[in-house]
Parts: sequence; C-alpha cells; structure tokens
Amino acid sequence: MSDTSSVNQRLLGSENYQKLRNSGVLLVGAGGIGCELLKNLVLMGFGSIDIVDLDTIDLSNLNRQFLFRHRDIKQPKSTTAIKAIQHVSNSKLTAHTANIMDVETFPLSWFDQFAIIFNALDNLEARRYVNQMAQFLHKPLLESGTAGFDGYIQPIIPGSTECFDCTTKETPKTFPVCTIRSTPSQPIHCIVWAKNFLFAQLFASSGSTIGDGDLGTDNPEEIKRIQQETNELLELQEYVRAGDESKIPEIIKKIFVQDIQKLLAIEELWKTREKPVPLPDIEVDGIVNTDLSSVWTIQEQVNAFVLSTQRLMKRLPEEGQIEFDKDDQDTLEFVTTAANIRAHIFKLPLKSLFDIKQIAGNIIPAIATTNAIISGLSALASLRVLNLIKNQPEAKAQELNMAFTSKASNISSNRYISNPQLAHPNPKCPVCSIARGVLHVSQEALKTTTLSELIQKIQEKYRFEGEVSILDKSTQRLLADYDFEDLLDKTLAELNLKHGIILSISDESVADEVRCTTEFYLDEVKDAQLRLPNIEVPLVKVIPSTEETDDAVGAIESTASGEIILDALEDKNEKKRPLEDEESSSSLPPSKKSATTHDEGVVILD
Amino acid sequence: MRSAKVLVINLGALGTEITKNLVLSGVGSLSLIDSHIVGTQDLESQFFVSKDEVGTKRLDAAASRIQDMNPRVELNFDKDDFRTKPSSYFQQYNLIVATDLHSADIVKLNAISRRFSVPLFVAGLNGLSGYIFVDLIQFDATDEKLKSSMATPLKRLSQNREVIEVIEHFNEEQSKTFERIVTRNIYSPFEKMLKEGSLKGKLTRRQLKRLTNAVPLTLALFDYDDETSSLNAQDLREKATEKCVQLGLPVENLQQKYIEQFAEQAGLEFAPVAAVIGGAVAQDVINILGKKQSPLNNFIVLDAITLDMHIFEL
Repeated sequence: MSDTSSVNQRLLGSENYQKLRNSGVLLVGAGGIGCELLKNLVLMGFGSIDIVDLDTIDLSNLNRQFLFRHRDIKQPKSTTAIKAIQHVSNSKLTAHTANIMDVETFPLSWFDQFAIIFNALDNLEARRYVNQMAQFLHKPLLESGTAGFDGYIQPIIPGSTECFDCTTKETPKTFPVCTIRSTPSQPIHCIVWAKNFLFAQLFASSGSTIGDGDLGTDNPEEIKRIQQETNELLELQEYVRAGDESKIPEIIKKIFVQDIQKLLAIEELWKTREKPVPLPDIEVDGIVNTDLSSVWTIQEQVNAFVLSTQRLMKRLPEEGQIEFDKDDQDTLEFVTTAANIRAHIFKLPLKSLFDIKQIAGNIIPAIATTNAIISGLSALASLRVLNLIKNQPEAKAQELNMAFTSKASNISSNRYISNPQLAHPNPKCPVCSIARGVLHVSQEALKTTTLSELIQKIQEKYRFEGEVSILDKSTQRLLADYDFEDLLDKTLAELNLKHGIILSISDESVADEVRCTTEFYLDEVKDAQLRLPNIEVPLVKVIPSTEETDDAVGAIESTASGEIILDALEDKNEKKRPLEDEESSSSLPPSKKSATTHDEGVVILD
Repeated sequence: MRSAKVLVINLGALGTEITKNLVLSGVGSLSLIDSHIVGTQDLESQFFVSKDEVGTKRLDAAASRIQDMNPRVELNFDKDDFRTKPSSYFQQYNLIVATDLHSADIVKLNAISRRFSVPLFVAGLNGLSGYIFVDLIQFDATDEKLKSSMATPLKRLSQNREVIEVIEHFNEEQSKTFERIVTRNIYSPFEKMLKEGSLKGKLTRRQLKRLTNAVPLTLALFDYDDETSSLNAQDLREKATEKCVQLGLPVENLQQKYIEQFAEQAGLEFAPVAAVIGGAVAQDVINILGKKQSPLNNFIVLDAITLDMHIFEL
C-alpha cells in the first residue's frame, strides 16, 4: 500500500476518479444538510463545488450546522461554510450569497455548467424551481430533505424517472427567523420563540457559547451589536445558572421591556405593522390560575412565569440542562407563559396551557444525525448517477435507488434505510410530462415583437392547430387565451416579458388529440432576434381530468390543512430566512407518504 | 445525557463523524483514545485534521477543532493505544464506541464491556460498505404509541426482543388511549454472533435472495485475525461461502466481481459511508442515553452502491 496513492482513487478506479476530479457540482443550500453535504463532496474530491445560500447564520443553527461557530453569527452561510472546510479541500470552492431563484445572478445557462445538482433546501418553492431548471437542461438532480428523524434522498433523472413534482407535496410549515425574533404576527410565532429560542437558550444545551476570536466582520457597529446580543444572553444565562431568584424581575424587564423597546427603535419594521407595547410594570402577587384549559390573565401569566422560572432554576444545578418536554409541567408552564406574555405585547390572542401543550408538542426539531445520514446517502447516490463506481455497469435510470429512513421513522424494524428503485415519470405530472425549450430573444426583438406575433410563430413552428393560451408562469399572469385578447397587440417588452421568464403555452383546441403543453424559458441574448428552440411538441391524447390543469401552480399557493400560516405565503417582499431548516421539508417521497401521517398542524422546525 | 461519559476509540473517518455528532448533541463528557499519526489518506475522509498536520498525532491535530464545535462538552484526549489499557480503564464509561478494530480486539473489548456491563457499539468501514455491531447486553426500551383496537400483547417479537410490559393510560386532552410498551432487548456477544449467528427463519426467501453480498463478506472479514491488506479474493470467497452456509443464505448469490471489489476495499475509509454509519451510531447512542426509542439490535450492514441497509438480529 503506497502512502501517496489516493484512497478515493483506489475505491473508484483511476478513470472514474479522474472524471470526478474534473466534475463540477452545484450545491443549493448551506444549512443542516448543506453543511454535511459540502463536507462529503469536498472529501470525495469533486473538482469544483459551487454552493448557493441566501441566508446568514443564526444562533439556532449552531447545534447541528457543524461548520458554523458562535463568532460566525450574522455572517453569510455560503462563504462561512467554505472557509470552515477549506483546510481539507482539494476542490475549487465558490460561494454565492444569493437566492437560487434570482434569474439575473443564475440564468438557466449558468446551471448547465454542472455535472449534477444537489438540493439541500428548506422550502418547496426553491425545490420546485431547481427541479424545473433541471428539467429544462436534462440535468440530474439529487433531491433531499429531513424532518426530525425522517429523511429521504431521491435522484431525479429528467425524462427517465419521477421528478420532484410527480407527486403532490405538502407545504412545509417553516417560519422566517425575523418573524420569530422581531415581528410575530400569530400566536404560533410566540410559542416557537418561547420554546425554541428563549427556553432553549436559558435552560437547554444551546450547543455553543461565545467564541473569543474573529467575529468575521470589520464593521465596528456590527461587531458591537453581535457582542452586545451575545453578552446580554450570557448575562441572563448566568442569572439562571447562578440560581439567583432575585434576578427574575430583571430577566422579565430585559426580554419583555428592553428588547421590545429596541425593536420599536427600528422604525422600518412598524410602517405596515401594529407596534408592540412593552410589558407594563406588574406587581407579582403569586396568585396562580389552576384552570389549565382557560386563558389566564396577563397578571396570572406573569405570576406563573416567575414561579416556573424559580422551579427550573432550582432544578438546573442538579440536571445540568433541561430539555423542553410537553409533559414536564415546569417547562410547559415556562413556555406557555413566556409565549402568552409576548403575544400580549404584540396584541395577539393568548392561548390556554392545554392548547400550547398541543402546539409545542407538534414542533418537530431538526436532528443533526438525520442530516448526517441523509447527506451521506445523497453523496453516495450521486456516484451511481454519474456512473463513477468501479466495476459497476452503468445503471439504467430505473435501477437507481432512492432512500428514506425506515427504522427511525417507525416504518420497519428490520431496515435502517429503505431503498426502492426509482419510479417512471408520472405521465400526468404538470412539470415533467410537458415539452420544454429555451427561447432566445434580443432586447431589440422584445421591443418590436408583439404578443400576437409570438403566438403565431409558436403556432406555426410547433403546429398548434387551433387556439392556444399563453401564461407568464413567473407571475401567474394570463397573457392571452380564446376569450382574453386585450394584450395581443402589446410588445413583449411592454408586457414586461424579459430574461428568466417562463412562458407556458397550452393547446385549447377541442379535439381528441392536442399539442402537449409547452414551456419556454426566455433567455436574453445579444445576437439572436427571436429564436424558437428546435424541440418536438408531440400530440397527446386529451385525458379527462378531474382537476384543473394548473394544478401544480395551485399547489404552491394552497395552504395545507391546519391553522398555521406558511412561509411561502407570508409577505412576499420580506427577505426570507427560514427559521429551521433546509432540512425541514415535509415533502416526503411517495413510498413514505402512506406510512407517515403527521397530525394536522405539525410544525417542522427547531 | 449531560452526565453521560462516553468513550470513542480511534479517530478515523468514523470516529470523526461520531465525535462530531456527539459533540453537537451536547453529550456530557467525551473521551477519545487514538494513538495514530495523521497520514495523507486521513485527509480524504476526515475534517478535524489538515494537510500541514500530516505526521503529527491525530489527536493533537484534532483536539482544538473538536473543542471549538461546542465548548460546553468536557473532552478528554488520550494518545495511548487503547490495547495497552488495563480493563479497569473501560469501567469508568457509561458507553463505549469502538471504531476501526480488528476482530480479535473486538472480542477482547466485548469481554471487558460485558464484565463491567458497559454498552458497546462497534463500527467499521470497508470501502463502499460499512457495519455496526451493538451489544447493550440487556436493554429495556420504552415506546409510546396510540392504542389500536387490539391491545398490544405481551409476547416475544423475535429471537432477541420481547414485549414485557404494556401500560395503558388515557390522555384526557386528546381523549385517546395510549400504550407505554416496554420491550426487552437481549444481545449476543460479538464472538457468539460470529460463530452462531444465523438468519434462518428471520427473513423471507425473497429477502434472502436479494440480500447484498456485503453481509456475508463483512462477516467473513472478521475471520481474519489481523491485517486485511494482504487478503485475496479467492480466500475471501471461501470464507464468505462458509458464512452463507452459517447464515442460511444461498451460496450462488455470491458474485465474483463484488468479492474482488470487497477484497480490494477492506478497511478503506470513504467519507460519505462514514457519514451514514457515523450518523446511525451517534443517533442510537443519543437515543440510548436519552432512553428514547428502541435501540438497534444488533448488526447493521450498509451497501453503499444500492443504499441497502438492513438490521439483522444475529
């Protein structure tokens, strides 16, 4: 055994290893799965890895996103992840702090440079988007997700196997961090704050404490703010750990008065929202309400908050740390009262202890080990997709395996992982059963071509016999159909059709066979005037359907059952920072669906 | 969990993954024992060491990076060879995780862990395959589930698992009846598993037929006392054939190419395999320390090509 020979080279064979060294891959997401996956891909030795993530690091990430430290809080995830793995890397690593759905930064052609795309995402919208890009480019995609102990990976080979949208997905219920920390608009936001932020920081293992090193920023104000936030939190932790009950009023003052005043100082936040009112001085009189299914008065909440904090402080020295458990009365009372006091401050409805017990018990934490397992499986599956395994004949697409947790999800007692082979595409899938191509168009052509001219060209080239409808998929805007012709004489530029927009054309003729629905990605180029792609748009039999044809589109917008407002539906203008986590997808694979039944109102986060 | 003292033996690719996961989870005290020196091959499967540390002790290179992940975990580092330690050394731990061991050392360690009643996890990597062996000696796991129309009976579930207690309780908020089910897990020592372990009657004929070659081959590797680097495919095939007979697997399933590949890859570390095996070990360790969920019982093999990962009671 020669010390200089690479182990990976021995494992994969020289030729395959060389291919791997020459391959570039795209990793979308640098959170729970993303950090783990980046580490795997780097150690395997992929030639280059581009990692994309819009988010910055939050305190709540540190207990499982192992590339991040306390000193990295507020730094971009993508660049920090790369810095943290550099010391073992032989790969060219490129970080992008941007939204993967930003067509200016990441036009379709940009995705084409990669051998494979890894999704390590937290939300359906981005997953759907990348899936669609993969379909346009016929690029293999490795999809993955976790929720608590459940996790899955699914290779997607466009044209050959089921795509991400071949089965309907539940909408994940995640909240942006800023909603939880600064601008709660529903009781659930306050419960998440009380349980996953306040309680976790004061009593549970937060997984990290302050680092004394590089804060990663040169901005003195930024440094001051980070240090201040950290110091204040540490101070509260110290009060709690010291068991000094006389400090409880100070804790109340800090989290329910001073922190709210600080939020009020950021005027921007309150332009469109009702301002919170800091908790007024309340004389603690020790009187508690014992009716657990009624909503307590604010006085009773504060009394019970003080008493439960005292009990938890007494327990702390012996137990070292206390985890939230809905059946542990002290922890439940603390979370209930803290959530309700915060709800009161933000003028939101208060809840009974029983209600909060139910809701808090349904919050699924992100689990570090599930992410580790799933990211390992994702990396392994990519080798087979790229045909890099020694002595293995190239697998047909349907011979590839997907994988999902089985033992940990209580599906099977004798399989740790289930690994069914990939399914054929769903012929009714609104995403992968249709024709696709790239429409090259110049600035000039956008200004001079009218919508009716474009429609005519499309009809001629792809032999649509009768009426068509045309939809701007990016904004869900109907541009024209048989009884809507108002926009036909407008130019494409006037209709705000530009680079990155996806147009969907449907054959509306009444016949047994119609042209397949076709989507065009508008790619702005300098030289071409207006060039339609040379693709086949086949005739397909009309299948009588019980659902509307824009089913896939509707699914993005429709809420899942339950009273919880979803991330995807919140203020579109607000910068999205999912609380937890990349991995918090409830989009489990079809084979798993039947076995996993989540209660209504389950919230997946940390 | 916070008061648990865990020992991890060897900081290779697997030890690294397991250590990362346990430190993140906030285990109370973690001790690492490893006498190895950072080699270039370590750089392809580990992330606590770096290029400029080749030639130094693995623990010296890794210590500060491990502590940096979670300053609240108490860490102890020991650069001795674990084989030089007296058996009393192992008594102080609540749980031992041993990685990258030869079978003779597993047998010795298992005898010690049994003598002091310390739960033991053993895990190893063989290229595109990896395994976990678990010996908790005896472990009562409590699971809670909604009661179905039939009450869960007290009965033997399998060779090593038996439902010994079912307590019903009514949840007033949900007005549903739940069952708290206590399952007693009995474990086989490693040596007994090697000599007597069988799958007869435990898998269906179809399952037996489709079972990955990695299972008999992993067990066959344990028949080599020491260095596996010199093993040849023919010899391995013979040992794997014996294992098939012992396990009750159809011998004709053994594929020459798979055996050759396995022989070449015995003991090699591959990062994504370490991630899966290390994740599974750590998850079970955390569950056991937190007394949640039924533990693994008792032998798991991953085939990293098909992603097949069965749990066998051997």
